[in-house]
Amino acid sequence: MSGGYNEIHPEPTTFWSKYIFSFDHKVIAKQFLWYGIFFLGVGGLMALLIRWTLAYPGVPFPVIGNLLFPGSNGIVPPDTYAMLFTLHGTIMIFYAITPILIGAFGNYCIPLMIGARDMAFPLLNMLSFWFAFLSGLVLLISFITPLGAAAGGWTSYPTLSTLIGSPGAGQTLWCVAIFLFGISSTMGAVNYVTTVITLRAPGMGYFDMPLTIWGLWLTAILNAIFVPVLGAGVILLILDRIMGTTFFLAGASATSGSGDPVLFQHVFWIFGHPEVYILILPAWGIVSDLLSFFSRKPAFGAKATALSMTSISILSTLVYGHHMFTTQMSPLLTQSFMTLTMTISIPSAIFFANWLGTIWKGSIRFDSPMLFSLGVVFVFGLGGLTGLHLGTTTTDLYLHDTYFVVGHFHYTMAASVLLGGFAGTYFWFPKMFGRMMNETLAKIHFWGTMIPLNGIFFGMLLVGYGGMHRRIYNPFIYESLQRLIPVNNIITMSAILMGAFQLVFVYNFILSLRKGPKAEQNPWNVGTLEWTIPSPPPHHNYDEIPVVKCGPHEFGNPNLKTGRDFQYQTEELVQA
Amino acid sequence: MTFKRSEAQINLASNIVIISMAMLFATLFMGYAIYRSSAPVWPPYGTQKVSLLLPSLSTLILFMSSFFCHQVLVNSRKADFKKAHFNLNITIALGLGFMILQGFLWSQMKGAGLYVSSGIFASLTYAFTWIHFAHMVLGVLALFYLKKVLKPQTQNILTKTSSVGNFWYFLEIVWIIMFITLFVF
Repeated sequence: MSGGYNEIHPEPTTFWSKYIFSFDHKVIAKQFLWYGIFFLGVGGLMALLIRWTLAYPGVPFPVIGNLLFPGSNGIVPPDTYAMLFTLHGTIMIFYAITPILIGAFGNYCIPLMIGARDMAFPLLNMLSFWFAFLSGLVLLISFITPLGAAAGGWTSYPTLSTLIGSPGAGQTLWCVAIFLFGISSTMGAVNYVTTVITLRAPGMGYFDMPLTIWGLWLTAILNAIFVPVLGAGVILLILDRIMGTTFFLAGASATSGSGDPVLFQHVFWIFGHPEVYILILPAWGIVSDLLSFFSRKPAFGAKATALSMTSISILSTLVYGHHMFTTQMSPLLTQSFMTLTMTISIPSAIFFANWLGTIWKGSIRFDSPMLFSLGVVFVFGLGGLTGLHLGTTTTDLYLHDTYFVVGHFHYTMAASVLLGGFAGTYFWFPKMFGRMMNETLAKIHFWGTMIPLNGIFFGMLLVGYGGMHRRIYNPFIYESLQRLIPVNNIITMSAILMGAFQLVFVYNFILSLRKGPKAEQNPWNVGTLEWTIPSPPPHHNYDEIPVVKCGPHEFGNPNLKTGRDFQYQTEELVQA
Repeated sequence: MTFKRSEAQINLASNIVIISMAMLFATLFMGYAIYRSSAPVWPPYGTQKVSLLLPSLSTLILFMSSFFCHQVLVNSRKADFKKAHFNLNITIALGLGFMILQGFLWSQMKGAGLYVSSGIFASLTYAFTWIHFAHMVLGVLALFYLKKVLKPQTQNILTKTSSVGNFWYFLEIVWIIMFITLFVF
């Protein structure tokens, strides 16, 4: 299907219409980027507070501890600790990764990479950002409510999240914030899916789309289908908390008819497992493209990669039960969920092998986007392998709720997505802002992130395997866990180091925005459509809608006589 | 600022919106099925079923509104916008009538001692009807929007009419499922 209007919108003239309530997908992308980076900082600081508490229980947090916790002489109090791990997860997943990977890159890349002038629904696009903004505001306000913010974990399982476990308004505001964010995500999803289907440039078939667009498109489809599932769950939780319904309250079922706390877990993970792929698919797409661009080779098995991502998206909807093996699920069900979970390994292995096939014997350029992409290959490989232990019922029963789970999902979701996000930022920064980032600082940032990152997350796998449970304020009151204190110290030192190196990124970002060398139209020498127009692109993107004549990964064609090693997508494929 | 959009874009987007909302209601009905199948008796001991009169009347009214809503599209296709407006007004009136009846239903349930906190049966009945009501508000707002743009010179008017109509039918289908599950059986 195609045939959407690709009109030129009038250019905004006032400050408000240009930068605040903008309809332009490029401006909205940047709004999501600032928003995501802000929350990345907030969530990152929370991570440091958590890690400090685990490595040095009872010791005041340095420098800002007394300012943040004057009542406890700078020591993180136990109730605040619960709020911190709850909000750290919530913020990183919904308010940092989602806005950057989906909001920023989705908005920026989709129209530019498919040859469109804007999204199909610019007003809806603007509303999507402002609903996200409102949601973030509600979440931040929850910190200053009398009993503090939500403290039931990012999964908000009842009864921790019902009035029994969390009597304050913080948990209610958490639910409201998530619901508002769900509206924002659904609006974005409607726009992304419609834009990709109806506004692709003439000649661009689905397999001519860059894999970045495949990742973002599949993410949007999963978002449209599964975010409302969580929406339903949080509505019922809000009603339980405010209106007195009893959906998640256990009781005597024969008389009053009881609720079911475990039902929320089902609802949460029906959404939650696809959510893992919602977050990671854009990063996979970006990395699949960048590996080809910087290896100067066509993406190995690009169609198979796209189809593998599609298969994974479908399978991701059928495996949620592996998060709930310990809820007295029937063995028949656990075995079914385990088998389906293992099935995901097949398409995952295909596209992972395709990544390796792409870089194999390539003329690799180790620019910063490539370094971060290679980082994703490493951490996702490790994260994926540790997932096998948790998808297998027998091993999961031992590892469930330990730091092994934390290490696993940080490798797959946090590390892969973070590194993928940095790869995308370094790659598209010249197009977004018309200036180049400093490569030396970018490389320092990469190694300063990559090495401590493994110190943190591999350390988590070790302490988890050693039996350390997650979400305990001071696990070392248990004698058996005291031997894990040194590893926890290493994890925390790595986290502080990694946090410090993020300042290099912030410095580079701000410095490059102001004083970076002007970017050429196509500084990386790649052929996708966005590099055929100036950096930054004009308001309407394309003077004339491009006609696509070849795929996005045409590199190293020996018949090329242009002096380049790549072809633009607007050029006929050179034949022998 | 106004933006031009094609029929394909409006159709696709409105269908995705309906799929999203259908997933929300599907989750609610999944919850209902679990509560219902795990309860030894239904409704639980000490809980009275809701009288069928008001829910049946609501179903009838919503069914009639869908009929008139369909007529709006039929009239618009024939470019008879005067009749289309007439039928749209009836659809809106019936929609508002349905919403008023919901108020009476909640009042009747309260009068019969069935409070929100009276257990899972009451929780389901109140919550589902509230959530459906919230969507009805969106539906009526969509009908008012249609009333504003229902004229021959409006771009893609037939697609807009059918999209609003599809949403209205969707709300009716959800209500019928609620009627059967919550009130009849």
